[in-house]
Amino acid sequence: MKRTVFTAALVATTAMAGAVAAQDYPSEEIEVIVGYSAGGGTDVMARTVAPFLEEYLGNNATVVVKNMPGASGQIGVTEVATAEPDGYTLGTFNLPGMMARTLDREADYDADSFTYLANVVNDPNVIVTPGSSDIDTMEKLVEAASEEPGAMTVAMSSLGGDDHLFLVKVQEATDTEMTVVPFSGSAPARTALMGGHVGMGIINLSEAVNFLDDLNVVGIASEERSDLAPDVPTLAEQGYEITNGGLRGFVAPDGLPEEVEQKLLDAFQQAFDDPEFQEAMISTGNPVRLTLGEEFEELTQEQLDLATRIWENTPWK
Amino acid sequence: MYGALLDALPEVLGWANLLAVVVGVLSGICVGALPGLSATMAISVLIPFTFGMSPLVALGMMAGIYNGAMYGGSIPAVLLRIPGTPAAVATSFDGYPMAQKGRGGYALQVAVVSSALGGIASAIVLMLLAPPLAKVTLLFGPAEIFWVAVFGMSSIVFLLSGDIVKGLMSAAFGVFVSLIGADTISGYDRFTFGRLELLDGINIIVLLVGLYALPPAVGLLEEPKDIDASNATRLSTGSIWSAIPGMLGYWKTWLRSAIIGIFVGILPGAGGSMAAFLSWNEARRASSNPDEWGHGEPEGVAAAETANNADTASAMIPALTLGIPGTAVAAVMLGGLLIHGLQPGPMLFRSNPEIVFGFMWQFLFAAILLIFLGGSIATNSFAQVLRLPRPILGAIIIALVFIGVYSINGRMFDVYLTLGFGVIGYFMEKLKFPLPPVVLGLILGKFAEENLRLALRIGRGDWSVLWSSTTSLIIIGLTLVVVLMPILRQQVAKRRAARQP
Repeated sequence: MKRTVFTAALVATTAMAGAVAAQDYPSEEIEVIVGYSAGGGTDVMARTVAPFLEEYLGNNATVVVKNMPGASGQIGVTEVATAEPDGYTLGTFNLPGMMARTLDREADYDADSFTYLANVVNDPNVIVTPGSSDIDTMEKLVEAASEEPGAMTVAMSSLGGDDHLFLVKVQEATDTEMTVVPFSGSAPARTALMGGHVGMGIINLSEAVNFLDDLNVVGIASEERSDLAPDVPTLAEQGYEITNGGLRGFVAPDGLPEEVEQKLLDAFQQAFDDPEFQEAMISTGNPVRLTLGEEFEELTQEQLDLATRIWENTPWK
Repeated sequence: MYGALLDALPEVLGWANLLAVVVGVLSGICVGALPGLSATMAISVLIPFTFGMSPLVALGMMAGIYNGAMYGGSIPAVLLRIPGTPAAVATSFDGYPMAQKGRGGYALQVAVVSSALGGIASAIVLMLLAPPLAKVTLLFGPAEIFWVAVFGMSSIVFLLSGDIVKGLMSAAFGVFVSLIGADTISGYDRFTFGRLELLDGINIIVLLVGLYALPPAVGLLEEPKDIDASNATRLSTGSIWSAIPGMLGYWKTWLRSAIIGIFVGILPGAGGSMAAFLSWNEARRASSNPDEWGHGEPEGVAAAETANNADTASAMIPALTLGIPGTAVAAVMLGGLLIHGLQPGPMLFRSNPEIVFGFMWQFLFAAILLIFLGGSIATNSFAQVLRLPRPILGAIIIALVFIGVYSINGRMFDVYLTLGFGVIGYFMEKLKFPLPPVVLGLILGKFAEENLRLALRIGRGDWSVLWSSTTSLIIIGLTLVVVLMPILRQQVAKRRAARQP
């Protein structure tokens, strides 16, 4: 009995201390863990966001980016999942990759390990063919791919990423079977495509916009056309209701004090509304779209469900 | 386009941008010279700091570091037989025997002049021929790249010199190490024992310092404390300018190695070590006294050093135009560009010409600066290191190695791996297993395997995809020549000997 009271008192004190700390938040340095090397796409996003977070969190906040590369981001995100939920450790979060890893590998985290803050980048997938190819619409593509199963070779980056999940969706929607050629990244896949070594490729919009002269972009997997490439028709326009993309955002460990969470959500919203932020993100090749808090959590669940369905039907390893 | 090149020049000559190149070259030489620290690492450490700098200052430092480190790596390779960077392994073949014969100073002078020439040639090619050479890169699909890897591996045959069985075992060990990690094509993890740290494979620096730096460093600890300064005193040679005329006879090697280096640079994934190995082999084959090679032939140093600097700027060609870096260093530099909103692709040349072309000028200046900064200042100060008592030198090297390895990914796991490789390296040395095939196996093993499988996927299982393009056929032909020529020559010589009793 005595012990229970003591524990209760202890919990109360800690909670109060926590509440006080939350009011002062941020009073210490905030660390953003990036699971990739400095200079990669996710790292550049984190470094672009950091100064805006500092500005809108106020309180002379300092946000420091820490790179913990390895195992395609898994080492970093595991570190975030197991960190103290005090708001001083945040991390970048990539979808569907981080959720796919809970399926195809043994992971020390799952969808419930995080407090979901903000998804900031949504980079839609595009279907591309070599500039020399005469396939430039979905109709022609489906025709070529239907000739015989596997006739179409598809360059893309590694298995279990957004490119791969998108390809599965495309195959389902068009009732075709294609030959997957998984390169070690989007850039080598794109290069093989530009050299005409493969039939088509799946990359993200930001990876295609600088190469529009050498590539045919058959379609973009977003609801609307993108400002970055207004001439590229969506897949829906061509009769295939498919949307998919690579997502990048920020999470904190599960169990973040509500007050801290609210402060962070506000800061992300304010950053997003800042035209300077939009400009900085676009100039570093990041198509921005903000999805905050609970909606972000739902988005993650959606991505996990999709990956789970595909993993169960056609496991990629 | 060439107008834009000249327009970019005034900006580059601004004092802050010039200073950045100077600082870059100096720190590059130091980083290269310290075993365990590499250009890749130095640039990735630098990248976060460049966030607030103006683009040309940041890029100038990177260009300087890259060029400086490629030369710097030769300093310990010559003086201690510890290659400072992976690309300096081939430099140690002839550089160290030269140092043992008391010609270490001259070896370093040859190295610095060759490095500078290789870098200058590469920068000029980058400035003038980037767009057409990017088209060459596009000719190389998985099938063609596979044959390049085979061509590189066939040069292992020449590195075996001596015990062929032991050489092949070393090469097989290198290939095995290269296969560790997640396989991108099937998605399966290979030999990772469930360790996340092993999923990305084993970093070449970890293997290199484990095999190459730790055993000699331990060897230094075993040596008596008394200083043998004779090497160091003999090292202080005359001015570099008086040595250059004597080197002019290497012009053929310089030219050949520069072309090899530039070519390897524009191919994705191979990198400086392969350039240096290939060029050393080719130079030896062309030489009139191939038996001298590996025992202190200055031309061997010239071949290796020209090639490993000649792939610096050319590796930026596919990086800038296609987004695929030719070397690991170019890969991190790409990150440095991205951070300044400079995204690779043909648009880059149109939207930011002053920065792209300025960056190219900086490569050229960095290469030229090598002669001035590397020639006397750096070389002589590093030579003083040899005056240190051996056990202290050994201890310093071991400490540096661990710091360097730790800083690659910031984890102790890599340090333990290095220690493991150190033990393997120690015994390999005692049992007289050659080390270069391990390095070549590590670089080319997975490279060949991955591209072969990609090619077969593209051909949907039909092997003829491997010889369906002209490019493939040319490389296959070259490989056959490289492998068969020495055998044919031997046969001819034997017959002649038989005919003349």
